[in-house]
Amino acid sequence: MSGLLLDYLPILIFTAIALVISFAFLAMPLIMAPAAPDDEKHSTYECGFPAFDDSRMKFDIRFYLVAILFIVFDLEVAFLFPWAVSLGEVGPYAFWAMMVFLGELIIGYIYAWKVGALEWD
Amino acid sequence: MEIETLLPALAFYLFAGVAVISALMVVIARNPVRSVLFLIMTFFSAAALFVMLGAEFLALLLIVVYVGAVAVLFLFVVMMLDVDFVELKQGFAEYLPLGALLSFVLAVELIILGATFRIPKEFVAQTPITADVSNIEAFGRVLYTDYAFFFEAAGLILLVAMIGAILLTLSTKKDVKRQKVCEQVSRTPKDGLKRVDVKPGEGI
Repeated sequence: MSGLLLDYLPILIFTAIALVISFAFLAMPLIMAPAAPDDEKHSTYECGFPAFDDSRMKFDIRFYLVAILFIVFDLEVAFLFPWAVSLGEVGPYAFWAMMVFLGELIIGYIYAWKVGALEWD
Repeated sequence: MEIETLLPALAFYLFAGVAVISALMVVIARNPVRSVLFLIMTFFSAAALFVMLGAEFLALLLIVVYVGAVAVLFLFVVMMLDVDFVELKQGFAEYLPLGALLSFVLAVELIILGATFRIPKEFVAQTPITADVSNIEAFGRVLYTDYAFFFEAAGLILLVAMIGAILLTLSTKKDVKRQKVCEQVSRTPKDGLKRVDVKPGEGI
């Protein structure tokens, strides 16, 4: 096993333990808890009321816009990481390449700010 | 078998199996929200497979970008669609022969392509990755210099996506009172106060 994978072994063990514990808590009530359902128990509690219609409803389109803007800037940050790590080796050309890239996205950012896409009314 | 080779092999088959099964569940799950959740599980297993290949940066990118952003967007779209899936499934038997034919053709094409395609030799192991360079550093060395044009093109595509999304979805309501910090802060007593000389016995 290489050193890299050995570094990730604790995460694997952690995930395995998390899986075991969460499945145990799901499985235990099935085995141990007494279950005697009847119609009254399954019905809506007395101070609640039956649902008027389907709980599935249309979202505001603004959530979508926020998610799209988040993806764009998320990708921008993702591009920044390798740049930051290797900037010492690749020199000023890479620095200015990133500045142009950031400039492109800042144009979009200013536009979004200007038209009020970042506001929630 | 020794533990040094057994454990990575076990982990690989575990994650690959989970990836294949959850990818299958994306297609056959009845509830589209569950499909998206299975898609997230597929992304996670693929990230684990990337880690096993030594591509740490790609793995974390997959989680940050795909799980964190793209899957959330899918969830929004699925919830916004508001499709009645019972109604949608009614024509199933009617379209089954045509659909089966099309998917058969597609499957044959894929199998032929997979059986005949060979990776050209010049693409294989052109630059051997040495152990002392991490995955993220190897990216950084070429992405901003050799592939700078594609990098800037990616930035332009992101810009277009952003402006397009804003143009398509943004609808400003006219009658909403917005907070304008600049105007509010720069307000003086002159703008807000008015002295009115009220005559006795009359209102304003």
